[in-house]
Amino acid sequence: MKDKKNKSLRYRLLWPIRNEKWQPITIPVASILVSFIAAAIVILLLGKNPFQAFYNLFQGAGILPKTSYAGYKSMLTDFLSLLDAMTPLVFASLAVAVALRAGLFNIGVSGQMLASGFLATIIVGYSGLDAIIAKPLVLLVGMVAGGLMGGLVGWLKYKFNIHEVVTTIMLNYIAQYVISFFIHMYYIDPISRQSKYITEAARLTLVNVQIANLKMDIPLGFIMAIIIAILIKFLLDKTVVGFEIKAVGSNRNAAKYTGIKVGSNTVLAMIISGGLAGLAGVTYYLGDFASIQPKVLTSLGFDSIAVALLGNSHPIGIIFSSFLISIIDQGSTYMSSQAGIRQEIASVIIGLILLFSACGAYVKHKVSRLKEKEVERKDSES
Amino acid sequence: MDTILIDGLSFALPLFIMAIGGIYSEKSGITNLALEGFQGFGAFIGALSAVLIANASGAAIEDMFYVALLFAMIGGMGFSVIHAVLSIKFKANQVISGVVINILALALTTFLTTQINALVFGAASDKFRLGVSERFTIDALANIPVIGAVFTNVYPFQVIIIVIAIFAWYVLYKTKFGLRLRASGENPQSVDAAGVSVSRIRFSAVLISGLLSGLAGMCFAYSISAQFSSGIYMGYGFLAIAALIFGNWRILPTLAACLLFGFAKSGGMYIAQAMALPSSFTDLFMILPYVVTLLLLIFFSKSNRAPRALGEIYDKGKR
Repeated sequence: MKDKKNKSLRYRLLWPIRNEKWQPITIPVASILVSFIAAAIVILLLGKNPFQAFYNLFQGAGILPKTSYAGYKSMLTDFLSLLDAMTPLVFASLAVAVALRAGLFNIGVSGQMLASGFLATIIVGYSGLDAIIAKPLVLLVGMVAGGLMGGLVGWLKYKFNIHEVVTTIMLNYIAQYVISFFIHMYYIDPISRQSKYITEAARLTLVNVQIANLKMDIPLGFIMAIIIAILIKFLLDKTVVGFEIKAVGSNRNAAKYTGIKVGSNTVLAMIISGGLAGLAGVTYYLGDFASIQPKVLTSLGFDSIAVALLGNSHPIGIIFSSFLISIIDQGSTYMSSQAGIRQEIASVIIGLILLFSACGAYVKHKVSRLKEKEVERKDSES
Repeated sequence: MDTILIDGLSFALPLFIMAIGGIYSEKSGITNLALEGFQGFGAFIGALSAVLIANASGAAIEDMFYVALLFAMIGGMGFSVIHAVLSIKFKANQVISGVVINILALALTTFLTTQINALVFGAASDKFRLGVSERFTIDALANIPVIGAVFTNVYPFQVIIIVIAIFAWYVLYKTKFGLRLRASGENPQSVDAAGVSVSRIRFSAVLISGLLSGLAGMCFAYSISAQFSSGIYMGYGFLAIAALIFGNWRILPTLAACLLFGFAKSGGMYIAQAMALPSSFTDLFMILPYVVTLLLLIFFSKSNRAPRALGEIYDKGKR
């Protein structure tokens, strides 16, 4: 009898994630909550106030107002920097998601970003073209460069059966070293030890725009990121191409028997994925930074894998998951200066969120089991 | 010429032992992208215990090598429990689990390193200094031309790795456990029908990969980098995965792939130095191992085949 009661209590505790229709949303939200609780415990153990810390985190990200601002700064400027940092993450996560849908694992987003960012920098960034031509050209170069590099990966897989994980890892290293060589030889800024800054006209972030007593950075790519996310959703859910890509991803052999061309769809998915990574690259290197640090692959390409998965590889989900991850990332500096907690705790929180959301399938399974038992219990009682 | 062999071997062997761990895990049917995280976390635990014990006992940190190695193996194995539990018990997607573990390992170890440095040593540092482990030369054999270099300036861990690798080869191909492990990755139903628990075999395979990765991570920390910091996450775990796929999930071809990486890496460095080019040119020679790999793969990967049940969650009811 007692056991029965326990079960029904457990069942009742699970009420927020019981509805299967909402599970794609409720399970990530639940895992986010659980990881914040876990982080709160860690912060408590360090002898700090977790609520204070989380509050600072949101203040730093421009979601909540800070107590004081430097000249020309406000919550709005902080929020715009958040969007600025979020833009490449959205593109990169979309790149991972499209490849995942085709059953491919694009671990080379970082390399594709670097290659396209570098090409856009040397072709457009130093050209002195007018903004009206330069900015679209940057996007185009980024998309084409990334798409070609992704396409190469798909082609090698299709033609020579080379595993995409190996190719992308190799290309990551090759891009990293070759580009480092060219930067050191031709484009180095001797003071910053990075590539020379690109012209303002080619930048995808408008820096220090003065509006009503505020100086803000306006990320032009952000709107585009949202539009592209919606387009990708449309492509995957409503078009033949999207259907075929997903069919190849869920079962290659079945797709082959139904007459879908597995090879060309593999290449196509990688071209799209690479193109998106290229957009991530140009919004990253030609947006906020305007310069490239040689021999460094951004960790963003790897984080995006996790962000895509947190968003269920769903374009709209990705917008939300990258928003959340960017908040934690951006807010961490302010949090560490205000609450005296090390900045690295932010990445630990992110890691925990991802860890708990990876258990999603298990939670789903457990909940449906509990549900069945609950029905049985009710049957036996009546 | 000798330096190519010496440096190449000391890089290739840790890579090889990590790849063997990967082979164990993937042969049992568990995709393992978490090698990078395992080796980093293992090296962290090893370095931490070395630093703490050296601090308490007053011994030199370089002498703590074997202690560190032991703890690194335990640490790597402990951390790999997460991957095993997530992908076997919780039936999570194995790729997701692997990626998450890599991110978590990097975040946790950087956070803990700074935190522990501040708490225990009162220093604002994000690394544990370790130094380089001592090397030895077998005089009798070192004078043989060309292959003598194999016996010159050897790190002790290279010997350990070779012994473990031979043992691992024996277990995987010549024992009942190895047979069952390989069968779990090809046709888990048959293993189950024989009355053996698939989950238990896969669990132990993942733990073995964690143990060997921890060992490899510690070797890197005590040789190339001479310290533990977030710089340990150089992507060698991914390189090991590339090597094992290149080696078609078999131990001996994987050794060849690792040696290729090692020698191409040290060879590229050597050429750049010998030609006395400006330092920027080193970068161009650094791509050598990766380009060679890609080219070779074009010729050799037609027949490559992953274990049939790799990445699939084992479902008893499935036919």
